Amino acid sequence: MLREIKKYRWMYFLLIPGIIFFFVFKYIPMYGLKIAFLDYNQYAPDKSTFVGFAHFIELFQKDAFLDVLQNTIIISLLKLIIGFPIPIILALMLNEISNLLFKKVSQTLLYLPHFISWVIMAGIIGALLDPTNGAITQWLQALTGEKIMVMTDPDYFVPMLVISDIYKGMGWGTIIYFAAISGVDAELYEAAWIDGAGRFKQVMNITLPSIMPTIVIVFILNCGNILNAGFDQIFMMYSTFVYDVADIIDTYVYRMGIVNSDYAFSTAAGMFKSVVALIMITVVNEVAKKLGNEGLW
Amino acid sequence: MANNKIKQSTGEKVFTVFNYMFFIILSLVMIYPFWHVVMSSLSSADAAMQGGIFLWPREFTIDTYEQVFKNRSIFTGYVTTLMVTVVGTVLGTFFTATTAYALSKKEMPFSGIFLFLVVFTMLFSGGMIPNYLLIKDLGLINNRWSLILPGLISAYNVIIMKSYFQSIPSSLEESAKIDGANEVIIFLKIILPLSKATVATIALFMAVGYWNDYFSTVLYINDQDKWALQAVLRYMLTNTNQAMQNAGVSVVAATNVTATTIKSASIVVATVPILIVYPFVQKYFVKGVMIGGVKG
Amino acid sequence: MNKKFALVLAGIMSLSVFAGCSSSSDEASTPATPEEKVAQQQEVIDAPPIDVLNQEEKMSMSIVTMQGHAQPDSKTEQWLEERYNLDIDIVVLPGWSDGVAKVGLLMADAEQRPDIVWWWGMDQDFQKWIEAGIVVDVAPYAEKYTVMKDYYNKQNPETWFFASQDDGSMYRIPGDVGEPSSETLMIRKDWLDNLGLPIPTTLDELNDVLYAFTFDDPDGNGVDDTFGLGGDGYDIRSFWPWIQGSGDGYGDGTGEGYFWIDNDGEFIYALTSDDAKIWIERISKLYADGVITTNIITDTDRFEEIAKGGFGVFHGWINHNNPNDTSMRSFYASNLDAQWIPIDMVAGDNGNPQYRPAPAAAWCYFAITDACEDPERAYALWDDVSKPENYVQKRFGIEGEDWIKNEDGTYELIVNENPNRNEEENIGIALFKDLFARKDEYNIENIATTSDLYKKALDGSQDIRVHKVQHKDISKYPVWLDKSVDLTDTALEYMWAFIAGTKSMDEWDQYIEEMNSLGLAEVLEELSTVYPEQQAAYEKYLSTLE
Repeated sequence: MLREIKKYRWMYFLLIPGIIFFFVFKYIPMYGLKIAFLDYNQYAPDKSTFVGFAHFIELFQKDAFLDVLQNTIIISLLKLIIGFPIPIILALMLNEISNLLFKKVSQTLLYLPHFISWVIMAGIIGALLDPTNGAITQWLQALTGEKIMVMTDPDYFVPMLVISDIYKGMGWGTIIYFAAISGVDAELYEAAWIDGAGRFKQVMNITLPSIMPTIVIVFILNCGNILNAGFDQIFMMYSTFVYDVADIIDTYVYRMGIVNSDYAFSTAAGMFKSVVALIMITVVNEVAKKLGNEGLW
Repeated sequence: MANNKIKQSTGEKVFTVFNYMFFIILSLVMIYPFWHVVMSSLSSADAAMQGGIFLWPREFTIDTYEQVFKNRSIFTGYVTTLMVTVVGTVLGTFFTATTAYALSKKEMPFSGIFLFLVVFTMLFSGGMIPNYLLIKDLGLINNRWSLILPGLISAYNVIIMKSYFQSIPSSLEESAKIDGANEVIIFLKIILPLSKATVATIALFMAVGYWNDYFSTVLYINDQDKWALQAVLRYMLTNTNQAMQNAGVSVVAATNVTATTIKSASIVVATVPILIVYPFVQKYFVKGVMIGGVKG
Repeated sequence: MNKKFALVLAGIMSLSVFAGCSSSSDEASTPATPEEKVAQQQEVIDAPPIDVLNQEEKMSMSIVTMQGHAQPDSKTEQWLEERYNLDIDIVVLPGWSDGVAKVGLLMADAEQRPDIVWWWGMDQDFQKWIEAGIVVDVAPYAEKYTVMKDYYNKQNPETWFFASQDDGSMYRIPGDVGEPSSETLMIRKDWLDNLGLPIPTTLDELNDVLYAFTFDDPDGNGVDDTFGLGGDGYDIRSFWPWIQGSGDGYGDGTGEGYFWIDNDGEFIYALTSDDAKIWIERISKLYADGVITTNIITDTDRFEEIAKGGFGVFHGWINHNNPNDTSMRSFYASNLDAQWIPIDMVAGDNGNPQYRPAPAAAWCYFAITDACEDPERAYALWDDVSKPENYVQKRFGIEGEDWIKNEDGTYELIVNENPNRNEEENIGIALFKDLFARKDEYNIENIATTSDLYKKALDGSQDIRVHKVQHKDISKYPVWLDKSVDLTDTALEYMWAFIAGTKSMDEWDQYIEEMNSLGLAEVLEELSTVYPEQQAAYEKYLSTLE
């Protein structure tokens, strides 16, 4: 054993920075979760006392938290259900474009919003949806005869979140499917063509089945993220008008923890989220393996 | 699928036309919001306040930019963000690679444990407050390293790199070993040069992450001169008058300028560099992601 | 097997390192017995006062502030540094929305904690600061250096009383207190004249004016581009004329105070009161009819709204009446024929028009923290800055350029041609304005008619003022302390949704139910037992002043 270790001494050397990093920046914060079990006073940490699961019990007695949990799940499920198939369809459609220059320009423009921060996106969306002079507000008014204030109306805010999330991410989402499509054996298409299959049939019978494993893996990853409804996006755009429908666990953690400085309670809320996410991804991974797919581990 | 020569049925022809139309419209939809902001930033205060669709500037003026550039935090924001992005991306990519390379050796004792410890951080994390307390205990509050260090290595990037390294034939390393080189030399001289596309992709991911990072500033930086660009921008967008007043301009008192045009102009100032660089780097990341993507 | 081992390993590693980390906190200050504390404080009072103008040692002083030109080395900052031999470091808060969060983070970090912290709201945190011993008790200093204390006790003794603790200690200094009534109703006189309308004197007449201003083209440009009511968005003070005119007028619940006491001694939570239901319903109808600016429900910048114009009525600061008011100057620059005039408050349901009583407690405070190397010197020099002649210099800038001293000893403000002078030339006068502000004759920006308006507003607010309830020491109200965040968040959420029309008034009962489930009854119960004690303590405080 020792000899083996000695043999790999330079490898361990290479590993040192990584190990230190993960230990300090990932594992120490995990230990830091202990404050969820304390009556924590951040101004005098020494005076904190142990309170066990009190904050967790409080969490589940609070209607506000249950609402927040529900919002989180609704928003991310909507994003998943509506947003998941779009990149697949786009990739398949774009793949049918034969003019290379056209294809390239389209791709470039489609990827663009992915590289723009939510700060900027929220600024742009805010300008387009401004209640008095927003271009989209005025357009909607001309169209429906009603003044719809999307940013402050709970009925429209969540759809706006879903649409803007898809807008920002759909182009980037196609890349992985392109990679998969480019890996499909060209001979399969030739054989199908000889059999007289049209292009639509080729897509349905060859392309789609070939990229199915990729689709499954992406789906598993998305499911594991079900409690991440998009902190950056919502944080930049929400307001008290839409807390009812748009306050999610992460924004709640921020408001309770950093704004109202209840560190312990907010850490408990965050920890609940982490534990659920851990369970979710483990379960989904096992299910995927049972169904004959390669899991994540 | 070079089946251009294949004769198309009528249905397919209709689809082709539709397909091209679809992507033309989609491309316009993708670009219009940015266009709109640029045009409104070049319009007069009155025109911008009326709103509506902007195809061209209305009552063209560059007064707004004159005022926005008086705000020195935009420059300090750029300095911080450039520094953080460059240092973070270089260090981060390098240490991601060293970690991934070491973990790519399955036969190394304890490698399984280490790999698990890395993967576990993808599944479970301390969260906002414990992270904040850590940075505080490390004495990094109000220090630009607090914007760099927490995001230096991500488990996800390590996994992508690790699977790429595992696909490199081990014969290359074997022969170098026979020449007496140790693993560090092999890593630097052979493995890294072979992995340019993957390394470039990881570097791009990290650069975008650092460039767009807003929240670390909110949590960790007090001194306005050390704010990252996104935080400066956020402040300009949400507290326009106050931000400009801090910078020496009263939007209320300035003529031909209003909060609406100031917002537009600040967005443009913060976005244009990305728009300029973006088409040039695009081809690299597409290639890199393809490699990562196929490996899953 | 491997995985389990790894987990255990991770656990052990975490524990061992953290053992080294957690001992980083500073040694706690040794708690003194009450007798010792009194003795120590008496010692401070008896010692000779510090001569702040002749200090050999340069003292570094970091100050948290928010408003104004944030660039370093403003003229005002330099003046303070030279006069008191200081090295000032300004920490600027990131705006009204994130400012509170930043103060909390700064105070929680011993290394980043400023010497002088300024804040608003944050009652819960303030209690924790006291418990943790990170803010300094300035009561003995206030005995010794009396400019600030004397000023407040002359203006209104309640202010200083509210800032102090029950045991007489004093951990915060009132930063800015509005005039007893600081808001008025403003109307576009030129629009009234164009439409041939008289100045409204009742709420109904005011409503009629709003509709006329919206639909009858008051500016005669032929375009439907005007609104009746405008002003500060996302702030219920914009609706005060309707609030005071609905029922008994107990529907005003803002961060300055959420409770009222009626003639029968019954305590009322403003935002669930019957009066609130009336005014919210009235406002939501006006909003739905489009006579209020659309963006009043969003967090607009009040000064920019006024500079932009486009509406004919607003309820806002009296000092918009001053000739140096930036937003009004900007408005008139592009609306040459316009004329805003302050009008008397309109009469509502009870026929007794009332101006809005401003709270006697400060809306913001500042404190000296344990990070300050010499708290007594810090207090003493700030007390010196607060003397009238120094205050005028700190608040209004350079003698001869920004103000002059008349031969009779009064001061006069020079209204500068360039409204950006303060910022562009880095004079820095707005930076410290909320760390002690005078509202007496040394607030030299007020012209005579403005001072008259303040007087009128004060007189016109007395009837409702006596019904206003304010908490003094929030730690005496533990139930409210515990439930206030949830209660006010919920109340404000519903209120704005009712106004904006995203919730129908039919949901009012559901709202009340939700508020009750959050413990509103217990809060009122607590108030009725503790508040009388507070009143008794105030009487006692008043007697000590004589």
